[in-house]
Order: sequence, then structure tokens, then C-alpha cells
Amino acid sequence: MSFLSPTAIAIAAGLTIPPLVALYFLKLKRSIRPVPSTLLWKRSVEDLQVNSPFQRLRSSLLLLLQLLILIVAAVALGKPMLQTVQTHEGTIIILVDQSASMGVVEADGRSRLATAKEQAKMCVDNMSDDARAMVIAFCDRATVVSSFDTDKRALKRKIDSIEQTQSRSSLTEAVSLAEAYTQNIMIGTEEAGSEIAPESAAPPASVFLFTDGRLEDADRVALQRFDVDRFQMTPIGARSDNVGIVAMDARRNYEQPEVLEVAATVRNFGSEPVRLDAVLYVDGHSVDVQSIQLDAVGAGEIESGSESTEPAVGSVWVVAFDEVEFGGGGVVEVVLRVDDALSADDRAWTIIEAPRHLRVLLVTDGNLFLEDVLSTLPLELVKMTGDQYEKDDDEVLMEGQRSAFDVVIMDRHSTRRLPQGNYFFFGALPRIEGVAAGEMIDNQVIFNWDDTHPILRHVAVETLYVYEWLDLKLPPEAVSLVDGETSPVLAYLTRDASQFLISAFALLTEDEFGNLLMNTYWVTSVDFVVFMQNAVQYLAANVATTGKKSVSPGEPVTLPIPKKVDDVKILRPDGVEDQVPSAGYQTIHYARTRQVGTYRVEPGVPGDDVFAVNLFNTVEGQVEPAPRLTIGADSVETQAGSIEVNQPFWPYLLLAVLALLLVEWVVYNHRIFI
Amino acid sequence: MAVVNRTKLDELLDPAFMNKLDQLALVSRKIFAGKMRGERLTKRRGESVEFADYRSYVVGDDLRFLDWNIYARLDQLFVKLFLQEEDLHVSVLLDISKSMDWGEPGKWLYARRIAAAIAYIGLINFDRVSLYGYANGLRGQIAGVRGRHLMFKLIEFLTDLTCEGVSNLPEAGKQFAIRHPQPGIVLVLSDFFEKASYEEGMRYLLGRNYDLYAVQILSPEEIDPRIVGDLRLTDVEDDDVAEVTVSRALLNRYKQNLQAYCERLREYCTRRGISYLFTSTEVPFDQIVLSYFRRRGLLK
Repeated sequence: MSFLSPTAIAIAAGLTIPPLVALYFLKLKRSIRPVPSTLLWKRSVEDLQVNSPFQRLRSSLLLLLQLLILIVAAVALGKPMLQTVQTHEGTIIILVDQSASMGVVEADGRSRLATAKEQAKMCVDNMSDDARAMVIAFCDRATVVSSFDTDKRALKRKIDSIEQTQSRSSLTEAVSLAEAYTQNIMIGTEEAGSEIAPESAAPPASVFLFTDGRLEDADRVALQRFDVDRFQMTPIGARSDNVGIVAMDARRNYEQPEVLEVAATVRNFGSEPVRLDAVLYVDGHSVDVQSIQLDAVGAGEIESGSESTEPAVGSVWVVAFDEVEFGGGGVVEVVLRVDDALSADDRAWTIIEAPRHLRVLLVTDGNLFLEDVLSTLPLELVKMTGDQYEKDDDEVLMEGQRSAFDVVIMDRHSTRRLPQGNYFFFGALPRIEGVAAGEMIDNQVIFNWDDTHPILRHVAVETLYVYEWLDLKLPPEAVSLVDGETSPVLAYLTRDASQFLISAFALLTEDEFGNLLMNTYWVTSVDFVVFMQNAVQYLAANVATTGKKSVSPGEPVTLPIPKKVDDVKILRPDGVEDQVPSAGYQTIHYARTRQVGTYRVEPGVPGDDVFAVNLFNTVEGQVEPAPRLTIGADSVETQAGSIEVNQPFWPYLLLAVLALLLVEWVVYNHRIFI
Repeated sequence: MAVVNRTKLDELLDPAFMNKLDQLALVSRKIFAGKMRGERLTKRRGESVEFADYRSYVVGDDLRFLDWNIYARLDQLFVKLFLQEEDLHVSVLLDISKSMDWGEPGKWLYARRIAAAIAYIGLINFDRVSLYGYANGLRGQIAGVRGRHLMFKLIEFLTDLTCEGVSNLPEAGKQFAIRHPQPGIVLVLSDFFEKASYEEGMRYLLGRNYDLYAVQILSPEEIDPRIVGDLRLTDVEDDDVAEVTVSRALLNRYKQNLQAYCERLREYCTRRGISYLFTSTEVPFDQIVLSYFRRRGLLK
């Protein structure tokens, strides 16, 4: 038994019991009535008193009964609860997972999110009256659904308003948000929240986590103010059968650009082998079907928790649709015909443009090697000198805010003239913030390289020897692809919708007499050709020959829009239109991408008027609830089964009050005293 | 004056009822020796037409009472004895304590009417009628009245009486017994709610060998009280106070006590040869006089 409002008992008892006892001490004011003789009345009263063995008790029985009624009523005001579970006191944080895997419909016909919301509401019911709770829903981002509140109805209404998303789940932001909020509350003062409480004054917060446990970053969460012992996870869900597309790409045939090659990686996350059909749609028309057989996932893999591990052999299959003739641009979609727990990863989309040759601008004062290599590639090459590049009109170099060329290669020409675009610098630097060069470095060896990067695919970097290169100083977000002993040799950097591939070395150098010398013999090898092909393809990716990179649910996208358009409409997969104002810029930022599917921009720039949002997440795809959750290095207590609710006991007490009132009434009608 | 008396008489006895009373006469179960020769036969042998017995002649007997027919047949002298005719004393002891002025219909009028009827019957039959009011002792009397012409005097006495004081039958009985040594019919009209013992008072009366009648008169409010709640009951006679919370249980207990009280009085009276009569003021007064009293043998 516990009380939600223990103070109400003291107040009610203090206000009612003393007056009742005082009333009994006061003499009853009786009305005066004359009678011919009191002889028989006195005798009758004496008889009753003599004949009733409990007469003495009866006079005080009324007082006792009335005291009992008041005490029971006061106890009922304290909202007693049958203590099946402990009442939650103090500060409570309720975290509800709304990620894609929470959309799994379980055997009872309800989604995991619906169950989680119900359990969260039960958690609210178990709060004591003076406890306060906040509700945070999280997927890839965390949203404060309700700030700290003691009103249980309001909290439950807010919990009901949590919507399903198809995003991945990230606990870090949710925990940070909760910690920030608990820092700013002040329990025990009337101006709660008006002042920032000192850290020690904040009460310990209990965190209730309602999730299926598939959290990408739980082990990376660093608790600042919370105690992991006060975390409690309620695991939601039971189903594990899921097959999903974890990657997809579409690529035009190098020789025949009107022929598409589509590949989708399909993975079985369930414990049963699955046979299913994968259907390819191009612009809404089914083009090809393939049957695939996927093995069950290994037992050890399931047990490994939320970590994305290497899948068992046979549970992953790459479905390749070759020889798909499609000369136009449009949406390529792969659909898995399977009835599984999670539908968000049963479809994947990519956008492909109509085939066209890449437009490459080579800015050089003369580089035969580079010109030769580029001329062998299937692209439209434009050459100009550095001076021309700096002097040419914007109309030549730019289309809108962006570069008019798919890739611009700068050979020994550093510049500030960098409209949005894709740049490849040889022995020169983009004049942007954070990028600088020191003295020339020579006689060093290539120390390390990332041969998994697409640019270095099939390139034998170990054969690369360079006489001298620039000592590059790059911002931290730059990715070094090839490292020398002291500085990067090849680095990749993105900035403001532009890509920069910076080679610290030039292919040619000049001696003191102005003679051109080869800086590396690499330019004569076939690896250089492969390297250039990779680099141009990579920088110009999403342009024409390959499907455009899709975004993850919830990830913001930056889209170019036509000139002189005030606002654009974005048609979401669920049919809802969003109006996005351009505010005078020729790009917009759009973040309501929480559903998988294709988003259309109207009016849009041809080629950028559609974008796809795909789940492609192995953590969300693995829908089987995690049996335990580890935050940082500590395990979180797991609630066994569903949450039990403390049953209110006060209705029974009110019934007892009624019964006592009845008894009191009977006693009152039989009581006699003088 | 006569008019006034007539009105007072009508208040107590209306002419039609008086006509009915004219047919009646008081009867005593005992035959008493009166002061004067009257219309009633007594046990005393005397001069009347009612033959009683014979006895042998002794010298000195009045020769007028010798039965000459017996002498002729038996040749012995016998004297005829006749019953003495004497007057009857009828006394009414009327409770005039404050408790009698109560009820609807009221006990006071009821009791006076009965007293007036008995007195009237007594007067028209040439009985010697006495009326006494009593509370804490005898208060007011009209004693030894004889003859119909004195009816108005009795009526005036009755109408002039007021209810006051505390009922005290022992004191009243004692005084009555002292003042009234002659035997006769004594009618006690009261509610008998005596805080002092009514038994002691009755003992004084029994000591004089009166032909006693006890008439207990109660109002409907006393028989079936219609009161409820937390009350402070005050006795109209002595201002005694009883604080009660009237409930059904208490009312039931009161009724049981009243019944037991009346039963004890009846039993007391029966054992001592006293005629006891209980009446409620709801019972028509003429029914009491014409029916109940005749049945009890007080009237014929």
C-alpha cells in the first residue's frame, strides 16, 4: 500500500477530526417541550439504559464510528494504491523510441510504438502525485514531447501524440536533452524552472526507456548527470522475422549508357530461412523479377545485441538486375515481395538521370599526361588556362549558383573562384577557409592509404612515388585518402555543397629554368588512368551514370531550385505537400524526410526534382528486441514483462465510508442517552 | 345570575344529557348508615316498608311491629324487623393538579363533566353529594349538598376550580379521610401520575371503608406521544426536567411503561375492592357515564 497524496490525509484529518471531537464535548442544544409528567419518560429512559448492556458503549460508539468514517475518508483522500509495483517518486524521464523498428506490428495486431505508448502511460499512472515527468520521443533526433509536468492526464495525452517515424534510432541526443532539462529544474521551490539549480540540488532522475532495444549508439552514450542504475528499459515487441534491403545502387553501363545495372543487397534478419521475389520497377513499371533464397541468421548473431556484425553467409544476397534498358531519367525501385515484420525496408529507391557525357573542365597551363588520360575517358572535356579561368564571365563557368561543369580539374592552379561544384586540385589549393599549404616536402614515402575508398579502388597505391608535395594543412572534417609521413598526400573535403579532391603533389614541376619535369612516374602507369576514372566518377557521382545517393530518414537535404521561385512544394510519399520558401536563395534545405520513399520538388531543377529516402539500416532492420541494453559500459536494468499498474484502493475505501455511514445511521436511530 | 349558571351548566352537562341522567341513580355495593333518613335502605333495622327479618318479642319492643298473624297461628310473639332507609354520601375527589389541564380533548373538562354528571345523579336522588378538588392536599370543597336545587351551586364550584399545584394523593386522601368519616361512595378522578405514591393515598381512603371508584383519565397525547428529536421535557407541575432523544425505541419503551403503570394501578385497585376505570379523553364522555359506569354497577 502506498499513498499518492500523503499530505492530503494529514490536512483532511486535521481539519475534521478535532471539530468532531469538540462537538461531542459540547452539550447538545435541545428544544424545550412541556409534558404533564416526566414520571414515565424518566422511567423509560432508565429502563432502556438498564436493559441495554451496550448503552455506555453505544453513546461513544457513535463517536467512534464517526471518527472511523473521517479517518477512512481522509485515508481515501490520500489516494492509496495497492502496492503491486513501487510508486515512482521525484523526477522521471520517459524516453519513447519512435524509430522505424517500432513500427513492427506484433502478434496482437498492435504496433510496438502503440504498446510502448501504453506502457509509458502506465508508468505515468504509477507516479506519485508530487512526482514530475517529462516525455522525450527519439529516433535519429530527440523531441521533447512534454516538458516536466505533474499532470498525469496531460502527460498521457502528450504520449498519445507520439508518431511513428521510419528513421534510425539514436539514444545520445535523447539522453543529452533529458540531462539538459533536469539541470534546469528546481524541485521544491515555487519558481520551479525559473532558476538554474546547482548541480547537487537536482534530484536524482529515474529514466524509463521504452524501446525494442535496437539502438545504434547506446554503447556510446556518456551519462553526465544520470545514474545508469536509475535507468530502466521496458523491452517492447517479440517478432524477429524481417528481410530488408540494406543497400542499393543503379549504374549505367559504361559502354552502353542506356543500359542500367541495378544491384540491391538483401539481408535476412530472421531466424527462419526465407524465399522471396525481388521486383524491379523503373518509373513505376515492373521490369524484372528475381527469386532469392536467404538462409536464417546465425544464432550467435542474434545474441550479439545491437552491434551490427558481419551477417552469416547465406543470409545476405545481392540481387543484380542487369541489362535493364532505360534511356531516360526517373525512379528505380526494388520491392521485396515478402510479408515480414518491418515494411519500411522492403522497398528501396534510387533516382537516375538520363544518360549524358560528363562535362569536365581542365584548367591547366599545359599537361600532356593529364590531357591524354582525360581524352581517353568517355567525357566532354573543356580546356582553359588559369588566366582564362579567372577572367571568364560567370555565364561561361556557372549555371545559377553552381559550376557549369560536372568536374573541374585544376592543374597547379589555386583559386578563390569556386562556385558550387566538384573540384580536383593537382599541386594547388582551393582558397577556402581551413585549407593551407606549408613548405614543399620531398624525399618522403607514401605511408598509408585507404584502399577501400572508391577513388582508390583497383589502384595500386604502393607503386606511387612522388618527388615532392605540398605540406597540406586541412580542416578536421577532411578525409585523408593517402598519407605521407607527416602530411596528407591525397585528401577529400566537402564544403557548402561542393566537393574538393586535393592532391598535394602536381604531376609536373618546373625547374629553375622553367623546364617541365615529371614529379612522378605514376602518370605513365595504368593505375593513374584507373585513378582518374575513379576520381571523376566519384566526384561526378549522382550526376548521370549512377543512381543518386539517397538520404536516410530524418536526414536533411539541400536541393537546388530554379531561379526566381519564391517557394517550392515538396510532395511527400504519404501524399502530403510541404511548402518551403526559398527566401531568395537558389537552394532550399528540407528536413521532413522521416518517411522512406521518393520526394518530388515542384518546381524543381531537372535532375534534382526528385530525391529518395531509404532506410538502409541494419540496426533497425534487425527487429528482434534486444534482450538487454548496455549504456556506455553498464547494463541497464530490464523490466521483466509489461509494466504493472498500482491499482487505486480509494474506491474501496469510499465504499467502506458508505457502509460505515449506514451503520452510523442505524446506531444513531437506536441510540438513547440523557 | 341564573343565566350565568345555566351557561356554566351547559358547558358541563347539556340538557339532553341531563334528561338521560334523570333515569339513573347511584348504587353502592355497600349499604351505609347515613346521618339522616333518606331514600336508601341500610343494613340498620329501622322504619320502612322493606321487611328484613323476625325476632322474638322482648319486653319493651314497640307493639306496633308485632306480627299478629304469626301470633294467631303459632301463639308466639314475634316482632317484624324492617330495613332502615337512609341517605347516601357521594364524594368526588377531583384531581386539580396542573397535569390535568392537558391534552386535546382536555382532561380537565372531561374530569369535571364526569364529576358534574355523578353529582347531578346524586342530587336528583337526594343523596348527600360532596365535591373536593385536590392537588397537594384538598383545595376547595362543597360538602354534603343535597337536593336538585343545589345543582347550580355545584356547577359554579366546578367551573370556578382552576388547575394548579402538584398532585399529592396521599396528603389529599389523608385530609379527606379525616374530614369525611361517614362511609359512602368516593370517586377519584385523576390521571394518577403521582410522583408521591398513589398507593398511600388510596390506603387512607380504604381505611374508611368507602365504596371507592378510581377513574384514570388520560389524554391521547399521553397514551401515544407524537414527539421526536432531542428534547428537554419539563414537568408542568414541578418543573422537573428530563432530557431525552426521542426515538422509536424510546417511544415503544414509554408505551410499555404506561401500560405497565396502568396495569399495576388496576391490579392494586382490584385486589382492594376498588373499582378501576381507565379512559381516554377521546372516548365520548357520555359513553363513560351512561355505559361504563352502569356496567361497573355505579349507576343503575
